[in-house]
Amino acid sequence: MLELSGISKTFGGVKAVQNVSLCIQPGEVRGLIGPNGAGKSTLVNLISGLLTQSSGVISLNGVPLDGFSTPKRARLGIARTFQNLRIFSSLTVHQNIEVANNIGQSSGRENDNFLKNAIEKFDLSEKLNTSADSLSYGFLRRLEIVRALALRPNILMLDEPAAGMNEQETAVLGDALKWIRLRSDCAMLVIDHDLRFIMGLCDQITVLNMGEVIAEGKPNEVANNRQVIDAYLGEDHAIAV
Amino acid sequence: MTLSRGIKRGFVGAALLTIILVIIGLITSYFGSRYQLRLVYSTYVNLLVVLGLQVFMGNARITNLSHSAFMGIGAYAAAICVTPVNIKALSLPNAPWGLNAFSLDPLSSALIAIVITGTVALLVGLMIVRLSGIGATIVSLAFLVIVHSLFLYRTDIFKGNQAFFGIPQVFNLASVIALSAVVVFSVRIFRESKWGVALRASADDEVGALSMGVEMYRLRLIAWVFSGMLLAVAGIAYAYFLGTISARPFYFNHVFLTLAMLIFGGMRTVTGAVLGTFVISLGLEMVRWLETGPVFLGIDLPEALGLSGIALGVVIVFTMALRPSGIMGEHEIEDLVLKK
Repeated sequence: MLELSGISKTFGGVKAVQNVSLCIQPGEVRGLIGPNGAGKSTLVNLISGLLTQSSGVISLNGVPLDGFSTPKRARLGIARTFQNLRIFSSLTVHQNIEVANNIGQSSGRENDNFLKNAIEKFDLSEKLNTSADSLSYGFLRRLEIVRALALRPNILMLDEPAAGMNEQETAVLGDALKWIRLRSDCAMLVIDHDLRFIMGLCDQITVLNMGEVIAEGKPNEVANNRQVIDAYLGEDHAIAV
Repeated sequence: MTLSRGIKRGFVGAALLTIILVIIGLITSYFGSRYQLRLVYSTYVNLLVVLGLQVFMGNARITNLSHSAFMGIGAYAAAICVTPVNIKALSLPNAPWGLNAFSLDPLSSALIAIVITGTVALLVGLMIVRLSGIGATIVSLAFLVIVHSLFLYRTDIFKGNQAFFGIPQVFNLASVIALSAVVVFSVRIFRESKWGVALRASADDEVGALSMGVEMYRLRLIAWVFSGMLLAVAGIAYAYFLGTISARPFYFNHVFLTLAMLIFGGMRTVTGAVLGTFVISLGLEMVRWLETGPVFLGIDLPEALGLSGIALGVVIVFTMALRPSGIMGEHEIEDLVLKK
């Protein structure tokens, strides 16, 4: 269980995240939405240890993560992808996955079948010996997710996984993420601007605006929340939930 | 997933490179003049240096300019240990800490030299590995200058620019070829090991690697110390063949030469390191011949002293401009014979 309690982050005088508390249970898929600059990516960076919070506590399965470096958090099972791809471009697809796989195995969370199946599910089996720098954008997105899964994470944070994808590719991605959910107890925190995609995928959604949580609840509750409509969705939104 | 696939390919690649190294050595042994034997020997010593350089620079992709200093530390440490007491009484009469009062066998001396160099590398590495880019390179350059100054001014220990003589000449071409083969295998296996792959990942994307649990600084330190120890081996091979060393060969000219070899061949691969060393060595020999002002095709060419320095500079400039990843790029030798 990932728990954030009263997390704030300021950059100079700018309050990027203010007093955010949330709790994500094992197996839960949580959406994190909000307008640009709302603090979504900052929150993911705080959880993964790339940034340090100004106040508040982040804990995983009851263990406070204060002072834990990013690699140490990854070893504890906090995995993520990035809004801007961060692939190891000089390595093959296989080696990209191997880097995380070695850490996952050394952390004692082995599950070779799950990883093997994930590679197949994300259509990477035929690409294993291909150099990552020759993959198309869609495959790079998939590789980043499979690489994160190779850590055998307790929580997988996906920062705009559907960015740049067409409708069909987004549908395939959504299907693959649901597959992960069915086959592991890994929780997911998903950031995306494609509301149809995120509303169809998530159990719970948290909405951030100006660094603060303005709403939290099931997708249909959030979609009809007046504050969320005013701050992010707009009056003419039409999301089938 | 077959996680050992890279290691298997690494063994094949290292074996192919070893075969080439042995063939070059055999041809030189049978057909080469004494001068050519010496030349090929120094090429193999430079190969050890370039391989040592590749371990850190090629995998972490941080430019290191202190490699000749580590080679020098290894050479002097072994020389001080192995040189007979009666010779040291003449050459190092004022040596402190009883350095002129003992003498060890070549193997023990070599092992001590490797440990000393590794320890120095560890201490320097603790500072360097937390830096990236130009910061790390400047620190490595500063270290080169410090070590060279020590070699020059502690004449009671190192004899400065004077020859440190009397080192037993226990190495020949066969020994350095055998050593090169061992180092080629070690460097190649390191590159394909989980440490090497993770280090290369961190060179591609630091934040991405940290987020995947890669302990980047620890891996850089391991590669740095390993590199330092290999450079010590190169220094020992140099000293044990020549029997005489001085401070001058462990400075800028040598740094520049070996750097050009690695950059030209391709710093990211072991095959690139080997290729660069042999091509530049051969090319440089031709340039040195041109420097003397020979008669070529009936034309009396003018003397052109300093041409070799210009040639090396041109090689670096053109490689960086036209093919920054060197001749081999990301390709290892086995890519020619094995399916990807």
